[in-house]
Amino acid sequence: MRLHSLTLRNFRGVKDRTVDLPAIGTTVVVGDNEVGKSSLVEAFALVFDFPDDSKSTRIRDIQPVGQDVAPEVTVELTLGGRELAYTKRWLKNRSTELSIVDSDGRRQTWTGREAHNEAERLFAENVDPVLWQTLMVGQGQSLVLPTPADAEPLITAVTAESGTPVDGASMPLVTAVEHEYLRYWTRGGRPHGEYAKSAAVVATAELAAEQALKAMDEVVADIRRAERLALDLDDLSSRLGDHLKSVEDLRERKKATDEILLRRDSIRSRAETARARLENHTRTRLERERLLADVERFTKADAELAERRTDSETVARKAAETVHAAEAALAEVVELKDERRAQVQDAERLVSLLMDRAELDRLTGQQAELVDVRARIAAAGTVLDGIKVDDAIVAELEDARAKVVEARAALAAGVPEVLVRRVGAEAVELSGTGLDAGSGKKVPGSLAEDGEIELLVSGELVVGVPGQVEVKVRAGGEAATLRALVDEAVRREKDLLKKARVKDLPAARELLRKGDLASAELQEARRTERSLTAGGDPAERIALLAARLGIVEGEEPAEERESKQPAVEAVPGQMSLFEQFEPDENAFDFEDFEVPAPMDVGELAVAQRRQEDARSELAEVERLLADAEFAAAQARKAADEDRSEAQQARARAELAGERLTAAVEALEAARAVLADEDVDSAEVEATAEVESVLDELTAVQEQVDAVGADEVAGELADALAVATRLQGERDVLRDSLRTTEGRLEQSGRDGLATRRDSAELDLAAIRAEHESLKRRADAARRVYETLGRHRAEAQTKYSEPLQNRIEALGRSVYGPSFRVWLDDDLAVAERELDGARLRVEALSTGAHEQLAIITRLAISHLVSTGDSSVPVIFDDALGWSDKGRLRDMGALLGRAGDHGQVIILTCMPERYEHVPKATFIKLEA
Amino acid sequence: MAGIPGVVGVLVGWLSAGRVSVLTAMNDSITFLHSSDWQLGMMRRFLGPDGQARWAQARLDAVMRIGEVAKQTSAAFVVVTGDVFEHNQVERQTILRACEALKRIEVPVVLLPGNHDALEPGSLWTSSQWLGHAPEHVKVVTDTLPREIVPGVEIVGAPWRSRRPVSDPAAPGYADLAPAPAGTKRILLAHGQLTSLSGGMSDVPTIDQTSLEAAVTDGRLHYIGLGDRHSTTEVTDRIWFSGTQEVTAPEETHPGNVLKVTLTAEEIEVESIRVGAWHMVEHHAELYDEESLTALEDWFAELPEKERTYVRLAADGSLPLPLLSRLDAMVDAQGEVFASVERWAKFWTVRPAPDAADLDALQLSGPARAAMEELRQALAGGDEGAGAALTLMHRLARDAG
Repeated sequence: MRLHSLTLRNFRGVKDRTVDLPAIGTTVVVGDNEVGKSSLVEAFALVFDFPDDSKSTRIRDIQPVGQDVAPEVTVELTLGGRELAYTKRWLKNRSTELSIVDSDGRRQTWTGREAHNEAERLFAENVDPVLWQTLMVGQGQSLVLPTPADAEPLITAVTAESGTPVDGASMPLVTAVEHEYLRYWTRGGRPHGEYAKSAAVVATAELAAEQALKAMDEVVADIRRAERLALDLDDLSSRLGDHLKSVEDLRERKKATDEILLRRDSIRSRAETARARLENHTRTRLERERLLADVERFTKADAELAERRTDSETVARKAAETVHAAEAALAEVVELKDERRAQVQDAERLVSLLMDRAELDRLTGQQAELVDVRARIAAAGTVLDGIKVDDAIVAELEDARAKVVEARAALAAGVPEVLVRRVGAEAVELSGTGLDAGSGKKVPGSLAEDGEIELLVSGELVVGVPGQVEVKVRAGGEAATLRALVDEAVRREKDLLKKARVKDLPAARELLRKGDLASAELQEARRTERSLTAGGDPAERIALLAARLGIVEGEEPAEERESKQPAVEAVPGQMSLFEQFEPDENAFDFEDFEVPAPMDVGELAVAQRRQEDARSELAEVERLLADAEFAAAQARKAADEDRSEAQQARARAELAGERLTAAVEALEAARAVLADEDVDSAEVEATAEVESVLDELTAVQEQVDAVGADEVAGELADALAVATRLQGERDVLRDSLRTTEGRLEQSGRDGLATRRDSAELDLAAIRAEHESLKRRADAARRVYETLGRHRAEAQTKYSEPLQNRIEALGRSVYGPSFRVWLDDDLAVAERELDGARLRVEALSTGAHEQLAIITRLAISHLVSTGDSSVPVIFDDALGWSDKGRLRDMGALLGRAGDHGQVIILTCMPERYEHVPKATFIKLEA
Repeated sequence: MAGIPGVVGVLVGWLSAGRVSVLTAMNDSITFLHSSDWQLGMMRRFLGPDGQARWAQARLDAVMRIGEVAKQTSAAFVVVTGDVFEHNQVERQTILRACEALKRIEVPVVLLPGNHDALEPGSLWTSSQWLGHAPEHVKVVTDTLPREIVPGVEIVGAPWRSRRPVSDPAAPGYADLAPAPAGTKRILLAHGQLTSLSGGMSDVPTIDQTSLEAAVTDGRLHYIGLGDRHSTTEVTDRIWFSGTQEVTAPEETHPGNVLKVTLTAEEIEVESIRVGAWHMVEHHAELYDEESLTALEDWFAELPEKERTYVRLAADGSLPLPLLSRLDAMVDAQGEVFASVERWAKFWTVRPAPDAADLDALQLSGPARAAMEELRQALAGGDEGAGAALTLMHRLARDAG
């Protein structure tokens, strides 16, 4: 299809315009906004789509607003080798005319609905709608990448060029294959759905079957074990039986040998008896020898100890006498010492009395001083209590004074000052309010002759000469205010003086000075009081000493004590500031006590010397006493030792006598049983008897050895031990067998074989089901992969022509590294430039638009050789390209015109100034 | 090993009380029933859970029918020569249901432990579950002593004491026997494969047929009832395998019977009476075209008692894809009708044989056509997986088209 011209009448804002388009090459239709560029494209669509009697809003919308005119479009084009002139008018005077000149030059015309139908048929027959939509790019659509897989002319072209038919008819199969594949597999090729579940079920069933089989294997192993145990038990029982027989044989042998053994035991018993008797006689002999020796030894010892006892008793008696003499001497010294101690105590009492008297003297003086100091403290305190003036109050008074002076000065400056002088004889009378004669003077009611007065008038002054004249002077507006200020300052000063209880400021200052002096006096007196009472209250100590010395209440002291006045003067002009100081009534009244006469110092020294002498004499006597006590103790100790020794000697002598008596008695008793001369002969007889019995024992032992009687018992014991062991082993085997049989009984109850068979049955069914699924899954996978592979190969082949064309065009813009890859819909999916491969979604807007334009030009190029070609129309494009790209894209658009009709509508002609050989058509408003 | 006391003695006492007169009125002839290999508790994985449950019940039903046969034939007693139970460790339900079925046999029943339920340690026969529930008239052979079961008839058995006998498992039952007293019929109950029939393939010691025949010849034995072989088999006129009461595998040739044995002074008469209700069949089909597929459908259609029939189906050949789909559908449908239809994986080699027409019919082009062609070629090259893929793709393309 080629467009030759388009004529629009009464079409939106276009009244009447014809645009002629070259049949080949690139045409740039330039016009400002709203001049109807886009209407050209719209008109072309409407003329084919809507019959002239259409009531569509799209038709009504093209009628110029407010104009009752008929929109009309005429289009001239080549379609399927025929030249068409097609005119349609809507809404008013509707008409459709179609004129066709075929390749043979024959002309046909249609009108009305026939014309519309014929045009529609021809368009549908010759223009592939997908291709038309793909290559006509409306406003704002320049970024959309075409997906031209359904464009028949393109498919025809690529099929013709690649030799590979495009398999559009197989899509339902492809979908079905994919659906079947996804029933069993994920896209990633992992088992899925029913198939995956089946595998899990198989695994579970296998585990169950394995466990059941294992349980049954254990049963079979138990059966084998039980069989073995039964055989072993039979064998062991048989061996045990044989062994018990040999035990019986041994028992018979033992019965025969037991008689000889009994006889041997009897002789052994006799031998033991004879040996015991011999031992008894030997013991008797030895005991007799010992008794004789004891008697001899104890007799000798008894004589020696009796002599030693007599000597020690003599020594003890002498020691007792020595003790008696020493204790008499000691008593004398003790008596002397008591006398000396009485003398020392007398001397000490005298010294103490004298010292107490001296201390009482000192404390009495101190107490008198303390009374004076306390009187001073009281006086100063009274002064300070009476003074109500301090630094702050004086400062406030000074400030108040200054304010009064200041206010008065202001009053003087701000009110009339009137001098009234009487110059004649006539009386001059004065009256009025707010008059101030200064310095507190009173204003007289009249002036004396030649008298004069100066007045500050803050109110009204009336000066009159009765009967003759009266002059009134009134103060100005400010006078009342100034007067009030003066009154306020004076009132404040008075209040402060009243509060300070002084008559004026100098009196306050004087009172402040006196207060400072009283404070200083108070501090000094308190310091003195603290030093006097540092060792405690002197009065208490005087009372204690007086009590100890026995001093009693007496006469008033001879010296009258003066009442001390405070060291602060009275304040002039001040009312009774001070009260009479009264001494503290609670203080110790030392004057009620008799003060001892002053002590003679020589008397104390004499007393102290006597005390020392008495002490020396006492010490001498104490030394004598110690010596006497030591001598007496030594004598008592020696006497005790001698007495103790005498007692021991007596005890030992008595003991020796007792032992001798006992030894003699024992010897006598033994002799009563057996005389000394029979002891040896009895021992000889017993020895002979022992030797005889031993001979008999040797003979019988030879018989025992000969028949092996001792071994028979051992063999029997061994055999019994073996029998016990075998019985134990048999019991163990029997228990094991019972245990195993018990297990088997239980497994029988559990129906383990049935369980195993059932589990295997289930497993077989599940496996069969799984195998069936697996076959289906494998088949689905095989088909999916095989078909997929073939489709990929085909896609690669039939996309090659378009891909090659896009790359060829793109390289003229981007250079030789430009490559693209297409998807199944023949849409560009990826672009590579300078080695960087990107999905188209990742491209910049400019690159995206350029790629969309390049792809359309490539499609146009591919289909340009057939009758199905259509113009490529861009309504406003290249809005995102920089200047360099605009140049390259312009060149490309220019070359595209070599193969077909390229129509560009734009309001920005500078974008296309690099399009070579382009026809520019300017639309005027 | 604890034995089971006085089997035959008790039986004689029980019979003497009420029914001996009936049995001895037969002029020195005696009739009894011989069965074996009940294998109660057996499971067959190819039956599936539902089929398994119904088949297990059928095996009990067959036992109960033996009771009916005993009544109909006036049999004096019933002997079961081994493998009454599938295992010694079957579940309690199996034992209790077996006891209930045995109660339906109104004559004495003598059971012989076989290799499946050997009198080994932990044996079912010595368990409290069995001893506590076994009917009074049912006795288990636990030793090799001949005992008179009815006047003039002795039974001697050779119970299996281990699953791994070390010698001829029947020999203990008769090796030391003296000839039967005059006028006494003696029956041996034994279990195991005959050397003559095993073909040397048995991994446990087998029963020497020659010695058995010698025992018959010299008058020690008058009938030898054998178990272990599931098909009813006459070894000699007096040596028989009764076979299982209900089929257990398609390989069995005459399963599902009980033997009615009548002994007279000199003669023996053995009659096989069917008590089983199930069928297990094996079928091999050659499939290469629509006609062969139709033949298979007809074969299925003609089988009787489908709900009690298990089919193990082997097939080979190759089918065009539409026929292959039809085969799959048919086998699936028959599986619902029959107790079970199993494709015998080992002998199932039916391959898809897609021809150009198949593919053209799908009107595929481009990659789809190429993919299918690749699969077809891979199948032709022996790639089994390609066959399944091709079949699937064919179905998907057909459905999608």
